[in-house]
Amino acid sequence: MASSCSFTLHKTAVVAPGHFPVKTVITSKMASFKPTKVLLYPKLGEKVTQDTLYWKNYKAPVQIKEFGAITNIDFSPVAPHNFAVTAFTRIHIYGPFSQEPVKTFTKFKDTAYCGRFRSDGQLLVAGCEDSVVRLFDIGGKVALRMFKGHTKAVHVADFTSDRYQILTGSDDYTCRLWDLANAAELNTYQEHTDYIRCGVTSKLNRDLFITGSYDHTLKLFDARVNKSVMTMDHGQPVESVLLYPSEGLLVSAGGRYVKVWDLLKGGQPLVSLKNHHKTVTCLCLSSNGQRLLSGSLDRHVKVYSTTNFKVVHNFDYAASILSLALAPDDESIVVGMTNGILSLKHRKNPEESKELSGQQRRRPSYRVFVKGKNYVPKQDDYLVSKPVKQHLEKYDKQLKKFNVSKALDTALESWTRLKKPEITVAVVKELDRRGTLKNALAGRDEPGLSRILNFLVGNLVDPRFAPVLVPAAEMILDIYKSVIGQSPVVDRQLLRLQELLEKEIDYQQNLLEVLGMLDTMFASSIPRKEVPCSAISRSNGLAQGEARPQLQAT
Amino acid sequence: MAADAGSSPLQLPCVFSPKAQQFLALCAQDGRLRVWNTDSKTLHQEYVPSAHLSATCTCISWGPCRTAKDGPKRKKRKSEAGQVEEKADLLAMGTAAGTVLIYSAAKGALHCTLDGGHSGAVNCVQWHPEDSLLYSGSDDTNIIEWDLQTGKMRSKWKADRAAVTSLCVSHDGKLLLSAGHTIKMWDLDTKEVYRKFTGHSTAVTTLRFATTRPPDSNGLYFLSGAAHDRLLSVWQVREDGKDKNSVVSFTLTDEPQHIDLVTSNSKEEAVRLAVVCKDGQLHLFEHFLNGPCKKPLSPLCTVQMSDTKDSPVPIPLLAAALGADIRAVLLAYGNHLQPVIERVELSTSERHVCLTRDVQTSLSLSMETSISKVKTPIVNAKSRVLVPGLPGHQAPVKGTTQGSEKRKKDTDTKEMSIAERLGEIDLSSVSTEKGAPKGMASLQTDNFAVLLVQGLESNDAGILNKVFQTRKEMVIKKTVARLPLPAVLPLVEEITKRLQGHPFTAVLMVRWLKAVLMHHTSYLSSLPDLVTQLGVLYHMIESRVKMFHKLTKLHGKLYLLMTQVVTSDSSKAVAEVDHTAKLVYEEESSDEDESSGDEGLPDDDSNWEEDEAMEDDKKEQTDEEDENPDSRTESKANGDEDMEHENESEEE
Repeated sequence: MASSCSFTLHKTAVVAPGHFPVKTVITSKMASFKPTKVLLYPKLGEKVTQDTLYWKNYKAPVQIKEFGAITNIDFSPVAPHNFAVTAFTRIHIYGPFSQEPVKTFTKFKDTAYCGRFRSDGQLLVAGCEDSVVRLFDIGGKVALRMFKGHTKAVHVADFTSDRYQILTGSDDYTCRLWDLANAAELNTYQEHTDYIRCGVTSKLNRDLFITGSYDHTLKLFDARVNKSVMTMDHGQPVESVLLYPSEGLLVSAGGRYVKVWDLLKGGQPLVSLKNHHKTVTCLCLSSNGQRLLSGSLDRHVKVYSTTNFKVVHNFDYAASILSLALAPDDESIVVGMTNGILSLKHRKNPEESKELSGQQRRRPSYRVFVKGKNYVPKQDDYLVSKPVKQHLEKYDKQLKKFNVSKALDTALESWTRLKKPEITVAVVKELDRRGTLKNALAGRDEPGLSRILNFLVGNLVDPRFAPVLVPAAEMILDIYKSVIGQSPVVDRQLLRLQELLEKEIDYQQNLLEVLGMLDTMFASSIPRKEVPCSAISRSNGLAQGEARPQLQAT
Repeated sequence: MAADAGSSPLQLPCVFSPKAQQFLALCAQDGRLRVWNTDSKTLHQEYVPSAHLSATCTCISWGPCRTAKDGPKRKKRKSEAGQVEEKADLLAMGTAAGTVLIYSAAKGALHCTLDGGHSGAVNCVQWHPEDSLLYSGSDDTNIIEWDLQTGKMRSKWKADRAAVTSLCVSHDGKLLLSAGHTIKMWDLDTKEVYRKFTGHSTAVTTLRFATTRPPDSNGLYFLSGAAHDRLLSVWQVREDGKDKNSVVSFTLTDEPQHIDLVTSNSKEEAVRLAVVCKDGQLHLFEHFLNGPCKKPLSPLCTVQMSDTKDSPVPIPLLAAALGADIRAVLLAYGNHLQPVIERVELSTSERHVCLTRDVQTSLSLSMETSISKVKTPIVNAKSRVLVPGLPGHQAPVKGTTQGSEKRKKDTDTKEMSIAERLGEIDLSSVSTEKGAPKGMASLQTDNFAVLLVQGLESNDAGILNKVFQTRKEMVIKKTVARLPLPAVLPLVEEITKRLQGHPFTAVLMVRWLKAVLMHHTSYLSSLPDLVTQLGVLYHMIESRVKMFHKLTKLHGKLYLLMTQVVTSDSSKAVAEVDHTAKLVYEEESSDEDESSGDEGLPDDDSNWEEDEAMEDDKKEQTDEEDENPDSRTESKANGDEDMEHENESEEE
């Protein structure tokens, strides 16, 4: 009953805005007030997706200066997930949150490469410029084993999945398998014809491994048959390879391309991505396998969705990127650069957001509000409804009291004005609808007027707001034309407004010319098409119809 | 390739000539040897070794200054009769191929080549201070003693298990230091190891004797620096042989690149040391070598260079030589291809000195200097062009007839980073404003198109902003014309995004859009899904121009008002215009009318009705206008009439 009554009153208020009969106003005040509707406009600029939110949810980076270019970063597979940073002649091991290395391996004669952990996190293997491969115990300092046999720098070293063998790849064009226990060379594969700079072992099969070389090829080797079983041509010197956790797909990076290969279909290329303008140097998968990250010398890290291989996010760094790693659960992003700077970004922990919500906790919880709401009255119950207090924004409160000028003032408060111009515009629109905009605008002193003018200068040409603000601007000119020239502040703002309008008109004239061009282009493209769909021709016709009078106006 | 991007493993050799420091010998990235005169600061000589690409120069050493009394060198002096005495002449250059070239600065030509000795790259060459002997250490772990009179090998011995990376001959010529796996001190007469020193884990790059005292007096010191090491260690050669560790160390900010030192002869004399680090800073030390010192010593003075731009960029120092005076230092800085040489007096009190120099102007000045002798190798058509660097990686590039030119071009484009490219655009845009030839403009737009494509591919905001900020119509047109077709649609998308902004920036984007539509009309109209591709753009423009009418009107209104304000202001400012009327017509009864129209009216009975109507109007006005004080007084003055009027209305 009560609700239907209020609805009808409500309606009358809508039908006859402006000068209500006194009675209606009182009753409507008692029943309900229709708050100003703030229109939601589509946001300009970059679309905010789930990915942007996810990848932006990192703290400001911690930067650590290393000795030289950071060529490799590897996370330990076991908790607490320390990571090994290979830079110059050293391998530093950092804890997940420490900014000082917890451990350092310095027993290298020359530049070290590719420090990688074994799957149990106990051992670390690293290649070196002096062609010797060294194996370290995480607790120790001195190399446990030295694998000698390569004749040039070793850039690739990794453990096989059975944990007892080591794969190495070198600049002497060979890759070798070593026995971990007695440091003996098990096999040598001499199939590549240039430097081997990347390689990865299968985590599921102990006999399979893949190497990428500067001879543009990727080769899948099988230790059981002593030769490569699959060769894929990348087309550029291969800098990095990555196996999917399922090991059905292989990702390779080289030149400006990132390529995805289907291993189960015999090395068929699936996708070729070209989103960098310099050589791509490193690849990484997010922990759930849904996102692929690539770092490049052009200083970007791109995040791809692995379903459609589109770039979903982009990080910018200060220098060319050589190495990249993600902590388990994407807890942190670690990037190594050519200038020796290691950049660590940690995920914002949920505790901080909890602190924010702590203030909200003091308010009555949701349960209080819904208490008794789901109670279904029985047949002979007499229902007494409690009036619900409506929450109103500040400007709405003023509007409700018919303080139009104050309502506009609240809507023009600096926070709303700058952050949410759509609210201000909505209030102006509401005032216009009521026919009281003139009253609200009139009778202002210099600061008050300059605030409005400021807002106009900022938002007048915005196509979303222009239909509302242009009449308002005209109104202001009508009201204040007698006092123009008295205040330098206001005059300056009016001059700015004039300048802006001049530019905008010039711009729109240009745009109209472009519209003309587009029309011609559309018109010429349609007859060529034998089956033009109706939607196109319709929109075209409409557009022409609209564009023409405006052109005449110019 | 990627790993090398950060740190160049090759240190470019750079040496001042001894004693007077008249020349600076430099071997730059292009494999050429250049000798600069430090007095006139000009290029003295340039020499291109015939195998400068396949076998780059790895080390240089100036021979001792020759005097007239130099006995063993009589043979050579014959060929250079009339030579000024005490002048640095011979330069020994070790190459990556294992040969040693002896170059004569006096003749400006190759003196002789010492080959057939080493099988690996030569890492260091050192002259004997008196005899015409030369020592070279190589990757093949051997040290060779060359006799320069015969040009033959005199002796050769295996020095270490690892490559010999550094050598140093003592001042009396009796001892030789070599660094390989360990630092060894050799007795040159017997070629036997005199002492062994261990401590460095990386390759030792520098060895220098710091004192001239004999080895059996506990007063002989030498210093060593290693790759990737930020300490210079000083070792004492002790009589009892208990010299296990270094006695003193000097702290640096990066690994040492060039060292100059003034040796001390006695305990009372301090050793002065100038070290240029890899990061381009110079550190000056002064220390009395008289026993061990636990703490590493920090520099007495650190010198840095920066340019004069708004955001200063450090200029790397290449080499420094100490003068006779305590604070006079000869500095070489800039790049290896064109170093700037300057003699600087450093103030004694400052611990940290930053010198600002405008390298651009000084570079161009040195460009103008004439080169006295330039020799280029004769390249035949079948020659293969090799990439500079160490031999071993066999990836030769097929050379064309203009081999050397091509190589030059290659290195130029390779070295150009994006930042440099952007900088170049700035420079060239300035020059086009001044009316540069057409060729320049086309080159620049070519760069622009490449940049634009790169920016679109990687979505790099910095590059795109830079490109889109051009205002020159010509540049925009040419860039768009050179744009490859696959990049057109991404460009349109980017433009669409940017068109939504403020009119000041959006106006620029319209130009780009127009240029795209004009140059790629046929391509765009051939697209089957043109409407869907450009639909967003179309609707955006449409919605924007919807308000064109009203905005123009508003602009007109504002324009009128503002011009009036401006004219009134200017008229006030310019001259006092006489505002008094030229002719004033005065009526006799005017005072009565002016004083009060209403008061006069009641007398006139015939107008009574009209007056009432006027009063009504006035009443309404007072209601509306918040009771204007004027009207209130009027109503008071006409109080009785109001009363009457009200009464009447009640009667009605």
